[in-house]
Amino acid sequence: MLNKTAPMKTRDLVMVSLLTALIVVLALVPPIPVPLVPVPVTLQTLGVMLAGLVLGPGRAGLAVLLYVAMAMVGLPVLPGGRAGLAVLMGPTGGFLLGMIPGAMLTGWLSRRIRFGLEAPGRQITLNFFACLLGGVALVYAFGIPWLASVTGMGMTKAALAVLVFVPGDMVKALIAATVAYQVARHIEA
Amino acid sequence: MLIEFQSVSFRRDGRPVLSDLTFRLSERRIGIVGPNGSGKSSLARMINGLLSPTSGVVRVNGLDTQTHVKAVRRQVGFVFQHPENQIVLPQVLEDIEFGLKKRLPDVEARKHAAMQALSDLGIPELASRSAYSLSGGEKQLVALAAVLATQPALLVLDEPTTQLDLKNRNRLVHTLATLDQPLIMVSHDLELMKTMDRVLVLDDGRLLRDDEPAAALDWYRSHCG
Amino acid sequence: MMQGLYVEGETWIHRLPAGLKLLVLVFAGWGLMWVTHPAWLLLALAAVWMLFWMARVSMRGVWRRMRPLAWFLVLIGLYVAWADGWLVASAAMLRLAALVLLGLLVTLTTPLSAMMDVVTVLLHPLERLGLLRAERVSLAFGMTMRMVPELYIQWNQIREAQAARGLESHPVALIVPMLVRTLKRADDMAEAIDARVDE
Repeated sequence: MLNKTAPMKTRDLVMVSLLTALIVVLALVPPIPVPLVPVPVTLQTLGVMLAGLVLGPGRAGLAVLLYVAMAMVGLPVLPGGRAGLAVLMGPTGGFLLGMIPGAMLTGWLSRRIRFGLEAPGRQITLNFFACLLGGVALVYAFGIPWLASVTGMGMTKAALAVLVFVPGDMVKALIAATVAYQVARHIEA
Repeated sequence: MLIEFQSVSFRRDGRPVLSDLTFRLSERRIGIVGPNGSGKSSLARMINGLLSPTSGVVRVNGLDTQTHVKAVRRQVGFVFQHPENQIVLPQVLEDIEFGLKKRLPDVEARKHAAMQALSDLGIPELASRSAYSLSGGEKQLVALAAVLATQPALLVLDEPTTQLDLKNRNRLVHTLATLDQPLIMVSHDLELMKTMDRVLVLDDGRLLRDDEPAAALDWYRSHCG
Repeated sequence: MMQGLYVEGETWIHRLPAGLKLLVLVFAGWGLMWVTHPAWLLLALAAVWMLFWMARVSMRGVWRRMRPLAWFLVLIGLYVAWADGWLVASAAMLRLAALVLLGLLVTLTTPLSAMMDVVTVLLHPLERLGLLRAERVSLAFGMTMRMVPELYIQWNQIREAQAARGLESHPVALIVPMLVRTLKRADDMAEAIDARVDE
């Protein structure tokens, strides 16, 4: 986390930058079919969840903030090569900004309890809930009110509109949870 | 140029990586060989203070690498194995300038020094190129230029040719031969090691042989081949 | 590969300071939220359209990029029409169109460097508080832009390798090696920076 007395170490800065780059690439590569979801989905949310799980709350917040900042500044880092303020002003603006606290919450929750690497079931379950609450619930908590106000529809109607995306996001959360665990095992080896 | 290792040991995650190394290096071209896992990369990283000994002292021209890290790094330039991970900014010239920020605060002087570094290696045309579009050989030369721009007194190279194809390996070797600086090179490339003044053979964290190239490499081939 | 969306031009809109454009955008965004009657929103949209015309931005390029978003807007419009009636729906679509297009206009007429200058100015107070250094933020931007194309190449390499085992569409089989290699790069890069830069 940012600390007034301790400057950010080189390694932290590099990790943040590289995870941001990973989010960009996952957002831009052609969507791959995800189990149980009828349409191929972009992996942007997956990247954000992974940033949370791998970097922890402080650095993940910075990584996603950097991602959003790059989009705002005009770089084509959003899915479809989109960028800029147009997306922020549009219906999905809240979801985009919500990814920042979302990644931080995911990072914070996933570090609450430390299961060893010998307890995969428990670690992956924890990761999964961390992704669900941070990468999905909190993001929607920002996205839905924004959608509601920018379109003029009520909150409940807006919530209903995005309900269709929730199952896909749950699958992404499971994928992120599994990947994070397997990567941790890899590094240990 | 004098590198001293005094009873240096290094442990990582509780496991011994280097054990009780003691030697003095002052020759112009020094090679370090050894099987994978012998600790030679860790040894190289002790010379510029990227790693600190668990016990013992490493000195570069009398400076302790643990207490005088900055001064040591000003004297020692390090070239790594994977060229693409050494170039950290998108455009070649700006990456070289990046390493010179503190040394040369004036923007024009910095740009000039960076261009000079590229010209010295015969690659001025790469200045405005994007790093990702370079070939492996070009990347390694750019990484070398970036290090040489900081005017180190000594060059340490960790397997600089391992990722390169034959043509680019030859180009790099030829370039290294033209440099003024003394160099210490870790490598699997035994042909290259033949051209050194002195070769150290490492295995399992211990210095097993320290000799002129022909003898050391013969020994290496028979014992670790 | 990482080129901004800016399109070169010499109009007064291009020459407006980036900070001013962003402020106008923020106020327009906030202001339009309060306007509910479609007639006024139509006026707003017409005003934005006129700005586009004054900026002489080629609409063909714009349409190509915004097409998916346009369809998305239509979908939303239909949904709102079903939920709240046509009056609200047309207001919603007009408002969204005006906001999105205004945002797009700012992006298309403001070069990356000008935007980065704004970012630097915004970071200034944080720098005074000792929370961060603008230099490091600039480095972070640079490193990210450096690595995006490399990671893209890495992704394709992994897909190819996994395709040999029939796994080219398996998320976990692709992303685990992607992340492992990316973390290794981070280690290498941090070492390279520590070795080269005198801080």
